[in-house]
Amino acid sequence: MKIFKFVMGMLIMGWFALDGMAQQPLTAMQIMEKVYNRPDGNEMEARLSMILINSRGNQRVREIKQYIKDFGDVEKRIMFFLKPADVRNTAFMNWSYKHSDKDDDQWIYLPALKKIKRISSDSKGDYFMGSDFTYDDLGDRKPEEDRHRILREEVLDGESCYVIESIPLESDYMYSRTVTWIVKDKWIGLKKEFYDEDGDHLKTLRIKKYEKIKGYWIILETEMHNVQKNHTTIMRLSDVQIDAGIPANIFTERMMRRGMR
Amino acid sequence: MIHWIDQLLNKPLRALLILLGISAVFFVTMRNNSRMETDLDKYMPQNHPAFIYSNQAEDWFDIKDGIIIALENPQGIYHPTTLRKVKDLTRKLQKMPEIEKNDVTSLYTADNIVGTEDGLDVKSFYRRVPESDEALNNLREKVRANEMVYGRLVSRDETVTIIIARVGDDTFSQEFYHRLKALVKEYEGPEKVYIAGRPIVEGTMAYLGPKDMKRMVPIVIGVIILVLYLVLRNVRSTLLTLLVVVFSVIWTFGLMALLEVPIYAVSTMIPVMLIAIGVADGIHLFSHLYLFLKENPQATKKEAVVDMIREMWRPVVMTSVTTAVGFVSLVTSQVYPIKYFGLFTAFGVLVAMLFSLVFIPAGIMLLGLPRPHKKIEDVDEDREADLFAHKFAEGIARKKWITFLAVHAVVLFSIIGMNRVWINSSFLEKFEKDSEIVQTDRFINSHFGGTNTLNVILEGDEEDTFKQPAVLTEMVRMQEAVQHQLPVVGNSFSLGDYLKRMNKVMHADSARYERIPDSQNLIAQYLLLYEMSGDPENLWQVVTEDYQKANITFQLKSDNSRALKKAIAVIESFRPRFEEQGIQINYAGSGYKALVFTDLILEGQITSLLLSLVIVIALLALMFRSFTVGLIGAVPIILTAMISFGVMGLLNIPLSTTTALISSIAVGIGIDYAVHFIERYRIYARQTESKVETIKLTMHHSGRAIIFNALVVIAGFLVLLFSVFPPNRVLGALVSLNMFTSFLGTITIMFLLLYVTNMYFKTPKETIINKEDKS
Repeated sequence: MKIFKFVMGMLIMGWFALDGMAQQPLTAMQIMEKVYNRPDGNEMEARLSMILINSRGNQRVREIKQYIKDFGDVEKRIMFFLKPADVRNTAFMNWSYKHSDKDDDQWIYLPALKKIKRISSDSKGDYFMGSDFTYDDLGDRKPEEDRHRILREEVLDGESCYVIESIPLESDYMYSRTVTWIVKDKWIGLKKEFYDEDGDHLKTLRIKKYEKIKGYWIILETEMHNVQKNHTTIMRLSDVQIDAGIPANIFTERMMRRGMR
Repeated sequence: MIHWIDQLLNKPLRALLILLGISAVFFVTMRNNSRMETDLDKYMPQNHPAFIYSNQAEDWFDIKDGIIIALENPQGIYHPTTLRKVKDLTRKLQKMPEIEKNDVTSLYTADNIVGTEDGLDVKSFYRRVPESDEALNNLREKVRANEMVYGRLVSRDETVTIIIARVGDDTFSQEFYHRLKALVKEYEGPEKVYIAGRPIVEGTMAYLGPKDMKRMVPIVIGVIILVLYLVLRNVRSTLLTLLVVVFSVIWTFGLMALLEVPIYAVSTMIPVMLIAIGVADGIHLFSHLYLFLKENPQATKKEAVVDMIREMWRPVVMTSVTTAVGFVSLVTSQVYPIKYFGLFTAFGVLVAMLFSLVFIPAGIMLLGLPRPHKKIEDVDEDREADLFAHKFAEGIARKKWITFLAVHAVVLFSIIGMNRVWINSSFLEKFEKDSEIVQTDRFINSHFGGTNTLNVILEGDEEDTFKQPAVLTEMVRMQEAVQHQLPVVGNSFSLGDYLKRMNKVMHADSARYERIPDSQNLIAQYLLLYEMSGDPENLWQVVTEDYQKANITFQLKSDNSRALKKAIAVIESFRPRFEEQGIQINYAGSGYKALVFTDLILEGQITSLLLSLVIVIALLALMFRSFTVGLIGAVPIILTAMISFGVMGLLNIPLSTTTALISSIAVGIGIDYAVHFIERYRIYARQTESKVETIKLTMHHSGRAIIFNALVVIAGFLVLLFSVFPPNRVLGALVSLNMFTSFLGTITIMFLLLYVTNMYFKTPKETIINKEDKS
């Protein structure tokens, strides 16, 4: 009898829940949470090409080997420069603390100096390695930090998308608002427009390539275009391995010194 | 000819109405379409290699002029209210639409690259305004330890701090200038707030110059009217002569508006030229008319006017055409505003001619003959004046050596002076020494590296040139040499300064390491590190992203051309060493462009002055059918120009765009005087065949008109000596001087040369043959 009640209750609840799903479309916040929570593996090992293109069309290319591993409370990332030759084996390590206000820990190893130095930055608004991405653009911004609103639904690159406007709750954030095109069912932000403090269009992010690897949607190529400075950064991943087992001791100063051999 | 005069004199109203109708059309176009050109870049020839390069470099490195706002607190700037003002003012400036956020640098925005025991930090000096003594002391220590900020943003005595706002050439407007001044004023007290920098100096000049002119011009015109009346002694003649000038100015500016040629700063010299030249025709016409009436008191209106036109059209046309051709020679200049100045002044001179020959006769026919108001004593005065003129002419002829000696002395002094003439592209030195703007500039210069900048662009032949230790070391050595040798260069800034700072910081702040690292890899790694932790935008102001080109900014305490040229000379001494490494040196920035521009103007001005002189001699020779007369006629022009430049050299007045153009007056006025004088001399020589009579009559007729003309213009322009804006004072003095020397040269040395060469006392043919045989 107890079991019957429980099963009945579950069925009723489930029916209501299903009904709710069918009748009520997702809220903007729910969509953003789905994007935020989209699983993409705990570990990634890849080769990153960072291509910086200035307003005159001149290109600079950096080749980087990177490892990222999620340890729960902390996400660790280590990068080894392969090219250009004069910075080969320069290593950069970043520990990002997810559940506290603690600033990221950052280290750099300069092989010419044979020294590891800690570096720190005042704000997350700093640009990542002189690219058009800020640290904040790379990290996932928590959905509850913004107020979201569905502007419309439209088709982009053959995918039907939600177009969502996000306005930060924080008053002096570096962007006054962002607009994101989110692919339904895949929960990938295909395109994002950033507006500066004055409300002027500042940057556009485009996802150029993504693939399903080990059951996860992995973004392989992104392009950030700063429309005000006419400067572009392309980040391209290759030789991507997901959850292939990265040893924890890779994220150490010892490894930074050792470099890529 | 006679038919034309008849037509005019029988239907004067028709001629008048046609002229007034056209004037009205020009006036309306002038009112509706005139446009001032305020962008200084538009003045420069954009296809000149120096400008092309500079503009490119400005684009590569985002070179802009800096507005400098200084806050002074005698108790020291490490005080919460002062630091709050720095923060607030910085943020207000960043929010101005004309200023980009990244272009404002102050203690609040500056990056503090610091070394710690175990690392490197790029931090701001403060976010929240420090209140406690401890926090203030902490900030003080941070600043003292950072040589990229100490002495650059905060003075070494710690009583002044500056905020630098960089603005593009095209964004600066009068409205922005006033808004900026108002904003800065809000922060005054107890701290003193100063505002300086090239955009402010240019802005103040663009504001003060015309404002002063607006005040002075009515007075100038008033004085000219008054003196014109005293000379002509008749309201109608005064009015008609003046209207000739007014209409020629309206037609000229009307035509400019019609052809959509904007009004440039030098275009304001056009009315100056037209006043000086335009009144001449009227004065000569009326002077002749009065003499005719005196000799023929019973003559009818028509007879008098017919005689006036018959006798005077030739010199009026000759003077105007030669003057116009002289101005047209300015089209050889590479600078468009000067070309336009030449062409439109020439047009204005021809319009003045047209009006003199049509408007004045028509006016007389309509308004009646002007009878000069004369009292009985005036007749005596007149006679006395005639007597003086005769005596003067006789004296000149008898004691020739005085004139010749004087001319030689003047030529000698002028040559000495001309050798001392120097060109100054400085804007600041156009202001009064005790003016607010000059004092502010001096104050900031005494505390910081300098309010003016010179950009030196080094360009390597391959990528990563500016990661090479040898190249960077040479660059730093050049910076040190320039700063060390020239006290006027207070500071410099380059990629080298970043690397020195980084190297020091990465070695636990050890001063030993404040130098360029020895390894290219380390340099590359430092730069990568800076890109990762600092603001790479700052880096791209000193080097291009491919590290092939670098920009060194020198700070100068003066925008004077001599200071700039000295700095360039020291930099040039490094050229061979850089060339060995495949590196080219070039220059950029608005100070440098102004320097090149001024040189260009003067070069053009001097060649066109010489060209116009040749043309004038040829035209005079053609008109009077004698090469000797051409040469004699050119003597006052040459003397006037020489004296003008000589006086400038001796009085240490530097050449600038306006002062150089004033020498054009020498040509315009010189020709007028020479032609009128020679024409009369020729006529009287034929009539009297007596040298003594000829000189008396010529002095009486032309000499009189010439002195009247000189008097009117000199009196008018002397008014400008009371101007509050120094360049306008110099303008007044030089125009007056040129009028005076032209006048004096004509009635002394030119007259004497005519006299001693026995010109017009043999048959002209003989003279030509004789002279040509000699030469």
